[in-house]
Amino acid sequence: MGSYLATEEQVSTWLHLLAKERDLFWPRSVGQFNYSFLPLGERDEICFDRYLPTIVPPGRRLLPDDETLFTSQQGDDRLSHYLPPQPSAPMVLAGVRPCDLKGITQLDTVMAAAPADPYYHQRRVNTVIIAMNCLAPCDSRCFCSAVGALGAQDGADVFLTLLAEGVLVESLSARGDEILVKASFSLCEDGKERRLVAEGTRPLPFGRELAVVPEALPEMLRKGYESPVYHRYGERCYSCGTCNLVCPTCYCFEVRDEMSLDGFSGRRSRTWDSCMIPAFAEVAGPHNFRAEVGERQRHRLKRKFEYLPERFGLGSFCVGCGRCGRQCTANIDILNMVNDIAVEVGGGS
Amino acid sequence: MKPKVAFFDFASCEGCQLALLNCEDDLLAILAQVELVEFREAISEQAGRYDIAFIEGSIHREQDIERLYDIRSRSKVLVALGACACNGNVQARSNFVAPAENYKAVYGEEDRNRVQVDGEYWPLWTHTRVRAVHEVVKVDYQLRGCPMQPTEFLHLLKSLLTGREPSFPANAVCVECKKNENECVYDRGLACFGPIAFGGCDAICINSGHLCDGCRGLLPYANVKAHRQLLKEMGIDITSVQNRYRLHLSNEPDAGEVRR
Amino acid sequence: MSKDAFVDAGLYLPQTGRIVAIEQCTVNEKFFRLELTRPLQHRPGQFVMVTVPGMGECAISITCGPREDNILEMVIRRVGNITAVLHGLEVGDTLGIRGPYGAGFDLEEFYQRDVLIVAGGLGLVPLRSLLLPMIAAHQRFGAITIITGARSPAETLFRHELADWREKENVRIIELVDSTDHYQWDGEVGMVTAPIGSLVLDKNRTMVVLCGPPVMYKFVLLELEAHHQIPATQIFVDLERRMRCGVGKCGHCQINQAYCCQDGPVFRYSDIQNYPEGLA
Repeated sequence: MGSYLATEEQVSTWLHLLAKERDLFWPRSVGQFNYSFLPLGERDEICFDRYLPTIVPPGRRLLPDDETLFTSQQGDDRLSHYLPPQPSAPMVLAGVRPCDLKGITQLDTVMAAAPADPYYHQRRVNTVIIAMNCLAPCDSRCFCSAVGALGAQDGADVFLTLLAEGVLVESLSARGDEILVKASFSLCEDGKERRLVAEGTRPLPFGRELAVVPEALPEMLRKGYESPVYHRYGERCYSCGTCNLVCPTCYCFEVRDEMSLDGFSGRRSRTWDSCMIPAFAEVAGPHNFRAEVGERQRHRLKRKFEYLPERFGLGSFCVGCGRCGRQCTANIDILNMVNDIAVEVGGGS
Repeated sequence: MKPKVAFFDFASCEGCQLALLNCEDDLLAILAQVELVEFREAISEQAGRYDIAFIEGSIHREQDIERLYDIRSRSKVLVALGACACNGNVQARSNFVAPAENYKAVYGEEDRNRVQVDGEYWPLWTHTRVRAVHEVVKVDYQLRGCPMQPTEFLHLLKSLLTGREPSFPANAVCVECKKNENECVYDRGLACFGPIAFGGCDAICINSGHLCDGCRGLLPYANVKAHRQLLKEMGIDITSVQNRYRLHLSNEPDAGEVRR
Repeated sequence: MSKDAFVDAGLYLPQTGRIVAIEQCTVNEKFFRLELTRPLQHRPGQFVMVTVPGMGECAISITCGPREDNILEMVIRRVGNITAVLHGLEVGDTLGIRGPYGAGFDLEEFYQRDVLIVAGGLGLVPLRSLLLPMIAAHQRFGAITIITGARSPAETLFRHELADWREKENVRIIELVDSTDHYQWDGEVGMVTAPIGSLVLDKNRTMVVLCGPPVMYKFVLLELEAHHQIPATQIFVDLERRMRCGVGKCGHCQINQAYCCQDGPVFRYSDIQNYPEGLA
C-alpha cells in the first residue's frame, strides 16, 4: 500500500497500459460543457485538469440501464428455462471524485443488504477504482464538504492527488498494489503528509453549506413533513426524473419483460427508474401513493437525508456532487430546498 | 387463423409506413404471424374485417371522417400510427390560421381570391379543422412520433399477438437523454421540449445533436406553465415560443392555446 | 463491497412451478395449487413473485400454511395483464416462482393469546396462511374470532373451510356481506366494522390482524380504538404495494421509511402508524 510520485505523463502511460487489459473509464469531455465516463481509447488524451462531475455518475456503470436479469427459453418439454446473463467483464473506473466514490460505497451497502444483488456484486468485485482527490470545489453547485463526502477514500483502490510537484499516487488496497505493479513511479515515503498539506490549502468553506449539521436532518425533515417548501419547488418541477437519474445514490429500477415474436424466448431486464415520475408509486385501482409533485420531491429528499441514512446507518445519502441541481432545467436545487425547510422549521442557524 | 392487419393512410407523408418497412430484420417474422390485408405502400387489396387497423395521418375533410367511421366499425383494435394520427402534428398548425391566409401563403393572392368564390377550387384545402384520430373515433393504442418508433411498433404487435397489454411508459424525453448521457440541450443555451414531451423515441433527435420539438406529444403531466416561463426567462419572445409549440403540438389540449 | 458476503447468484431467476390444480372460487378469483421443484419453506403472511414466461412478474400472497412438501397455493384475482393470462392457464402449465419474500407473521407470538382477525374482500387470501396453522393447533390459542366481509355472497371465499373451523370450541366466525344481492345467505349483512364494538376483548391479551382493501383499515382501527383500546403493538396490518423485485432493491414499494417487500407486507401497526403514506 505504498505511495508514489509521478508525472502526469507517467500516470497517463500507466492508465493506457491498464486500458489495454480491460475497459478503463475516465471522464471525457462531451458536448460543449459536459463530461462522461467513457472507455479510454488508445489515442485519447487524459485530462487531469479540473473536470466537472459527469452527466451520470460512475456508479451507474455498476448498475447499467437495460440490464438483463435473465433470458428465458421454452424447451421441447414446454418448460421455460431461465438463464442468467453473461458475467460482465472486469473494468476500471478511473478519475472518480470523492463524492462519486462515496456514492459507490453507499450503493455497495444497499446492494449487499440481504439478499445481495448478484449482478451488482459480480460487477463490483470485478471493478478497480482509481479515485481523484479534490482540492477545490468544482463549481458553484457542489457541496460535498457539507455532507461529509469530501474526505471519502473508502472503496478506492488507488487514490490520486494533483500536487504542484506531480501526481501523488497512493495505493489503498491489495488490488491497488496489483495494478501498480505495471507502473514505474518513484516511491514517495511521505505521501500521506504531502496529501494532507495539499488538502490544507483547500478553500474554506469548501463549496456551499448546509444550514444544519447533516445529523440533525432526519429530525428536521420529520418536523417539516407538511412543509409547503416541497410544493413551492414542485410548482416548477417537470417530473422528468433527471435529478434521480444523475444521482450517485439513486438505484431504483423498473422491470420489463419482452418476448420474441414467436413467443418461445424472452428476456427480463431492469431499467433505470425515478421516483419523480408520477407512475412510480402507482398501484392497481388505480391509486397513486405520491400523486402530487410536492409529495414526490419530499420522497426524493427524505430518501437522501432521512430514510436511507437511517436504514443503513451511513450518514447522508446525498453526496453533494450537485448534479441534480446542475442538470435540472427547472433549477430545483436539493441543497436550497433543504436549507429553505431548515429556515421554515426553525432548525436553521 | 392469422390476425388480419391493415394500414390506412390519411393526411400524412406516409413516412411511418416507410419506417415500418425499415424493420427489415423483423419484418419477415411479422409477416409470418399476420395476414396483411391492406397496405398502400406495399400491396393493394380489400378485406372486410380487420383484427388490427393502423391509421396513419390526420383527419381533415368530411369524407375522411366517414371513411374513418367505416374503418372503425370494421376493426377490432384501432391504432393511431405516428404523430399525425396521434395529435395532428404540423398539419394542425393550420387550425390557427384562417384558410384563406393559408392559400395566400402557399399559392398567392390570386388563388386566395378565387378559392373564396369558387367552392370547387382546391378541394383538398376545404377542410374545417385538422383532427387527430382520437378526436373522431375511439383509439385503442397510440404509436407516437414523427415518424413512429419501429421498436414500439414491434412491441405493440407482439403484445397484441400474445394477448398482453403493451406498455408505453409516460416518461419525459429527458429520461432517455440521461440514459444516453447526452449533453442537455439547455446547457447549449437552446430551448428543448424534452422535459414535457412523451419519450419512447430514445431521444433520437438529441442523440444526433438536434433538440426535441415534442413530436410525440405532451406528457399527461406536462408542466406547460413552467416550460413557457422557462422559455420566456431564456429571452425567447412570445411569438417564437408560440411557433415552437405550434410545430407539433397545436392540437394538444394542454399546450396552453385556444384553438380555432 | 465485501467479497465473501453471501450472494445468491439466482436471486432473480425463478424456479419452475407446475400447476396441479385450479378451482374457480368466484367469478374473478381462481385458486391455484402448484408443485415446485423444492419446498418453499415460507412463514404465514409471506408472498412470492410469480412469473408468466414472457409476460412479466407480480407479487402474489401465499395462501397455504407452512408445509414440508413442494406445494404452493395461491388465490389470484383477475385484475391486470399478468393475472388475466394466469386465469387462462390450465393444469400442467408452468409458472416461474421466486420467494418466499416478506417478513410474515411469527406464529409463536400469538400462542396463549386471544386473536381477532378482520378480513375484508380478498383479505382472507393471505390470512389463510396464518389461520390454517392456527386452527390446526387451536388449543394453543385463546379465543379466535374471525370476521370476514365480502361485497356479496357470490364473492365469499373459503366458506367450506370456515364452516369446518367454526366447529372448534374456541373459534368464532362472523361472516358478513355488504348486500345479499338476491343470493341465499346464512351469514350477516353489513360492514366488517359493525360487529367490532359488541365484541368482548381483553386489550391486554388480544392480538389483532387486519387485511383488506385500503379503505377498510382506517375504519376498523377507529372502531378498535373507540371500544377496545388495544395497543398498537398488538395489531398487525397486511398492506399491498406494487413490487418489482421483492427483495428491497427496486424502490417501488417504499412506504416512507419502510419497504413493503422486506419490512412487510405484514406490519406491526405501531411500526407504521406514524407513516403518512402507510394507510393512505
